[in-house]
Amino acid sequence: MLHSKTFVKKTRGGKVNKQVREHYLRDDIYCGAPICKVCDSSAARLSPSASTILIVDTNVVLHQIDLLENPAIDDVVMLSIVLEEVKNKNMAVYNRVRALCSNSMRRFFVFANEHHKDTFVKEMNKESKNDRNDRAIRVAAQWYQNHLGGAARVLLITNDRENKRKAIEEGISAETIESYVKSLDQPNLLDLLVQPASEDVNMEEVEDLRPSKRKVIYAEHKPMSEITSGLHRGIYHQGKLRVNRYNPFEAYVGSESIGDEIIIYGRANMNRAFDGDIVAVELLPQDQWYEEKSLSIADEEDGEEDVHLVPNSADDAPRTTNVVQGSAGDAKIMSSRPSGFVVGIIKRNWHAYCGSLEPMPLPAGSGGTAHALFVSKDRRIPKIRIQTRQLENLLDKRIIVVVDSWDHLSRYPSGHYVRTIGEIGDRDTESEVVLIENDINSRPFSSQVLACLPSLPWSVSSEDLANPIRQDLRHLRVFSVDPPGCKDIDDALHCITLPNGNFEVGVHIADVTNFVLPGTPLDDEATQRGTSVYLVERRIDMLPKPLTEDICSLRADVERLAFSVIWEMTSEAEIISKRYTKSVIKSSAAMSYIEAQARMDDSRLMDPLTTDLRNMNTLAKIMRLKRIERGALTLASAEVKFQIDTETHDPLDIGMYQIREANQMVEEFMLAANVSVAEKILKHFPVISLLRRHPSPTREMLEPLLRTAAAVGLNLDVSSSKALADSLDHAVGDDPYFNKLIRILATRCMTQAVYFCSGDLSPQEYHHYGLAAPLYTHFTSPIRRYADVIVHRLLAASLEIQKLPSIFQDQPQLTSIADNLNYRHRNAQMASRASVELHTLIYFRKRPTDTEARIVKIRANGFIVFVPKYGIEGPVHLAPRSEKGSGEWFVDEQQQKIKKMDGSLSFSVLQTIRIHMEVVEPQPNRPKLQLTLI
Amino acid sequence: MEYVNPEGLRLDGRRPMEMRQIRAEIGSVAKADGSALFEMGNTKVIAAVYGPREVQNRSQQISDKALVRCEYSMANFSTGDRMRKPKGDRRSTEISLVIRQTMEACIMTHLMPRSQIDIFVQVLQADGGTRSACINAATLALADAGIPLRDLVTSCSAGYLNSTPLLDLNYVEDSAGGPDVTVGFLPKLDKVTLLQMDSKLSIDLFENVMQLAIEGCKAVANYIREILLENTKQLEYRRGL
Amino acid sequence: MREIQLSLNKTQKIRLQRALEKLESLSSKVNSHASVTIADSIPVSYEDGVLKGHGTLDFNGELVSTVCGVVERVNKLVYVRTLRAKYKPEVGDIIVGRVSEVAQKRWRLDINYSQDAVLMLSSMNLADGIQRRRTALDELNMRSIFEEDDVICAEVRGFQYDGLHLQARSQKYGKLQRGQLLTVPPYLMKRRKQHFHHLDQYGVDLILGCNGFIWVGEHVEARDDMVEDQEKKPELQNTKSQKNSMSLEDQERTYTPIETRQNICRIANAIRVLSTLGFNITAEVITETVNLSSSLNLDIHQMLGSEFCVLVAEGEAERRSLTKRKG
Repeated sequence: MLHSKTFVKKTRGGKVNKQVREHYLRDDIYCGAPICKVCDSSAARLSPSASTILIVDTNVVLHQIDLLENPAIDDVVMLSIVLEEVKNKNMAVYNRVRALCSNSMRRFFVFANEHHKDTFVKEMNKESKNDRNDRAIRVAAQWYQNHLGGAARVLLITNDRENKRKAIEEGISAETIESYVKSLDQPNLLDLLVQPASEDVNMEEVEDLRPSKRKVIYAEHKPMSEITSGLHRGIYHQGKLRVNRYNPFEAYVGSESIGDEIIIYGRANMNRAFDGDIVAVELLPQDQWYEEKSLSIADEEDGEEDVHLVPNSADDAPRTTNVVQGSAGDAKIMSSRPSGFVVGIIKRNWHAYCGSLEPMPLPAGSGGTAHALFVSKDRRIPKIRIQTRQLENLLDKRIIVVVDSWDHLSRYPSGHYVRTIGEIGDRDTESEVVLIENDINSRPFSSQVLACLPSLPWSVSSEDLANPIRQDLRHLRVFSVDPPGCKDIDDALHCITLPNGNFEVGVHIADVTNFVLPGTPLDDEATQRGTSVYLVERRIDMLPKPLTEDICSLRADVERLAFSVIWEMTSEAEIISKRYTKSVIKSSAAMSYIEAQARMDDSRLMDPLTTDLRNMNTLAKIMRLKRIERGALTLASAEVKFQIDTETHDPLDIGMYQIREANQMVEEFMLAANVSVAEKILKHFPVISLLRRHPSPTREMLEPLLRTAAAVGLNLDVSSSKALADSLDHAVGDDPYFNKLIRILATRCMTQAVYFCSGDLSPQEYHHYGLAAPLYTHFTSPIRRYADVIVHRLLAASLEIQKLPSIFQDQPQLTSIADNLNYRHRNAQMASRASVELHTLIYFRKRPTDTEARIVKIRANGFIVFVPKYGIEGPVHLAPRSEKGSGEWFVDEQQQKIKKMDGSLSFSVLQTIRIHMEVVEPQPNRPKLQLTLI
Repeated sequence: MEYVNPEGLRLDGRRPMEMRQIRAEIGSVAKADGSALFEMGNTKVIAAVYGPREVQNRSQQISDKALVRCEYSMANFSTGDRMRKPKGDRRSTEISLVIRQTMEACIMTHLMPRSQIDIFVQVLQADGGTRSACINAATLALADAGIPLRDLVTSCSAGYLNSTPLLDLNYVEDSAGGPDVTVGFLPKLDKVTLLQMDSKLSIDLFENVMQLAIEGCKAVANYIREILLENTKQLEYRRGL
Repeated sequence: MREIQLSLNKTQKIRLQRALEKLESLSSKVNSHASVTIADSIPVSYEDGVLKGHGTLDFNGELVSTVCGVVERVNKLVYVRTLRAKYKPEVGDIIVGRVSEVAQKRWRLDINYSQDAVLMLSSMNLADGIQRRRTALDELNMRSIFEEDDVICAEVRGFQYDGLHLQARSQKYGKLQRGQLLTVPPYLMKRRKQHFHHLDQYGVDLILGCNGFIWVGEHVEARDDMVEDQEKKPELQNTKSQKNSMSLEDQERTYTPIETRQNICRIANAIRVLSTLGFNITAEVITETVNLSSSLNLDIHQMLGSEFCVLVAEGEAERRSLTKRKG
């Protein structure tokens, strides 16, 4: 099997280093065509009836991946050299091609031409790498042609003129992608085609009839060599560009070389960089570090602040900069925020974007090619110019578009249409958009995943009962308390009074790891999904429905497998002993929060269940008090709840989510279980435990809170979480809602807690600020969070009842899982918020409302208000937008007040005002919620 | 990093269960009592055996068995970066010890009391798996020197990358940082005499990987036997009657 | 496998190959199946009873070889004759060795064995030829007999508790001078009646030590003369200074003529070639090889070239096939 070997030389780093690698050429690499008589066709992927076999070159894959993904293109041979080049150039495209090649529905075959004895080509003298690779592609194509004989036509698809010419000279049939697609006679495919750059110029001239023809709009990017040397000398700084979610004309580059963030104002300075791109930035001279543009509510071109949900953490909140203060002429603060401009893009972060076309009149004579501007749903993305043949179809649709290029001569990047999601404003479409935008996989589970499920109806088997690791706790009076209508019940409780006056309290968590075994497709899928996503009208499960709602769900009156944490507590809620065990339980009652609360409050009820509830509530109250004494923060969020019409799925009512004692009781025991488990697993696995930490907010992050508080004469001590908690307790204003408002403001200053692998950080950094706990993890919701599944496995291994899966040996992989969980968790939250925002809009569409609101932030031309009743936040403009707030209104920074010049009117922060809420449609199909002062 | 692509080929074109090309040559050092050259792909190792001979340092003499010594070194030119100090560092001391212990376990030292056997191994070119190649070369050299052995010792490594057990890691795969199991194996006695791994691997995976390495050892042993038998025949017929 | 390390051109390679193949075909009929490598099991019939010899090991009732070599059976004894291995002394072997150390009443000699051999002062015939107890004076004067690095010819006397003992109780044994010591693998040497050869036509002595050390030196005329000589002036022998001055004179008198030196080299090179090719080394083969080289009019240094090597191989193949046919 082993054939000859050749040697490849490589240079690396600064010095020249000869590297010798073996390269085995094989004779057991097959062509993948079932019609072939010579090759082993068991792994063949191409269709037996294929008349044409396509071989694509690297650039075709890189640029036309959307086309390749279309089912119309099939029977493609991917050469390994092409894959390798694609991988080096663009990892995202590579992953998509790989997905195509492994998709059993598609007929893409990977041919390892680099290791085949007949198709390997040696680099010739003075031949560039690209030329060599092109030659390799041609050689492979030729080989296919000879190999298959006349059985199928082998067609090389290349857009490189030289390559095509040579191929035809060598007797290989070759075509450009355009001509091939045209020959297929499917006009809709043409939209997917990326136009070559040369045509781009024509297109622009056609569309851009304005006098500013061929004007240079952006500075040319510096060549890569210059960037590298610039980075080396410290002139340029490298970092990831983050566009302000609320102001697309402002971006930040976190630079390690400066240790601070560099602000980039305006599209010209951003110089065609997208959000997420790795860029090289040059600093502006210090006297230009501050620019006017960002002072007012961003509205340079079409920027505007929408009404949105109240942020839950600093990560969701609009970026607060010190520019408002800067206007007071404080030079020191100015100099602390360096600003710069992008000189080059090191790595693009282009992907598919959701959005719609900017409304435009239909060009005369439909069917022809039209150019349109695409507006992304994500405000951070600039408009994208696309070319389409189906303009009238697309105008009122949500579509997906990808970016192909951005020339420095064109104002907008150019891209191409990928697919349509649905009608704008349609709830399903918009929900789909929310999911796509947040990279949430809402596809049904694959058959491989479903094959991992136990057969239904499932019940606890005698083996489970006989299993020595599993304790039989069916005799206990276990019950669960959950939100009404909850089907995925993953936690249950019990409480017994012991003869010595102490209590035995147990938390029973669904034993998901008993069904989700490591390494199975089910486990892989769950790892990828990371969490269940809760939208207003639907839930996207992490695990398939039978597990989520039946087998794992700890429903009443059925025997279920559980993982239990059992404490013995004194009546002062001191934990005397802890015990962890797998168990079998039988829940006696599945209550909603309301039911549980009602039972506790009804003094006539004296049944054992109610007594248990009351005992637990007493304990929980003590535990909560202790926790608060330790410095845990009681933060508030303005969560809202919808009542959804069961038929139409339209929101019927909207209201704040009410938190009862019963909620707090359950929450308290869950926290305690999480903390206990965190301690246990960390003790056994000091470097591979999955924990959750909440970093302390920096003073800078708390700045907006302090400013607001100072304006209303409140002094907050933020030196520690304890101090903050105390001063929040003392912040009692004249109205009952004041305290909650301050807490909500405090909440949004905090960053979110994150998962991490304990080996990556030092123990001091494990701290959870919000809960004031040195250790914390997630253990109690394995049905809907994958982190809990991992923690279950760790706990089982620490009890030595199960082996630790091999993945835990690999700390980097564990870290990447933790990162993925954080990413998924965050996306899930964003999606939920977006879903709520969407439904808020739908709700108010038919119901213009007057309501009470609180001012939370003063801006130059208005202020931002918070509507407690609906948990939303949005701008109120005092002056028409066109006037830019100049003239009659005057902002007092110190007092956080906005006054009319004549002094007749003044608004200060936290003041209560009344507003009118109404859905308006400034542009057709673009509804938005507008707040106006009454 | 992708060490095994979805087509099941490794970076150098091998499949996970395949070894690199092996080649051996006996008698490459004319002066030595026994010598051999062993190649596993680009890893090239030369071994020379002197002895059994009079013990150089009388105080080390053992009255009932032979003293076995081993020195491992790497040629300055054996790696991509030219090495400044090819021997005497911790790594070579450790490998010297490993080879010595492995070989000593199979040499019938009691047949050669009060004598000394020196094994010198030098890496001429390093591309992963030097430890295994050294042991294989040393075995051949000992056999060539006519020193009685209980069994041949052969060695091969196996690793675990991209959730796949891989046989005979080369340098690139070796430096990936995954587990690397080196096994020394006595094919006739069916016993493992050397087992090294310096990272973590769960026990059932470990067994798979080790089994793979043992299969590799068996393949090496078959090859070595062939070479030795051919060599013996040659010597015999050349000598004549 | 062991390759002959020579730079051969293409035709030479093929010729050598052919010659070696011929050799193989000649010997293969004898005992090709008897070759074993380490851990091969040796087929034996246990009914006859087996005596395990050298190079064998009992492994779960199976007879297993521990070395590479050829299985030999003598009656019930089964042993493996190793090829490339250190010399294994047998009593009465004539060996050539080199003094590695002068110790208490003994010399230690390197004889290509796993240990140094011991030559006791008492196992030496004294210069004066008189049988007597060795005195302290004799001990002090040991270096006047053999010094370190002297080459000595001796006979294996036997094993004692402290190792292998040699003796040199004859005038034919003793120090060897004016010549070359060659080392060849011991398996190429055969035990014969005659190990001392006087090659008249070259004026050269050839001692084929059983241990693979071969001495090629100027012919020394009947050692008995020396004895007489020494008897005449025994007192001279006793003082070192006198001996040295004497040997200087001697040297001048018995200056080795250039032809003899060349002959020595020629014979030595012939042995080297044979050793490289792995052919059995006997006086006849050596003479034949030397004759071949002279008949070809080759310079001495050319004998080590690849061409001659191939010629020797071809010659050997021819010779063996002839003897075979005769036999």
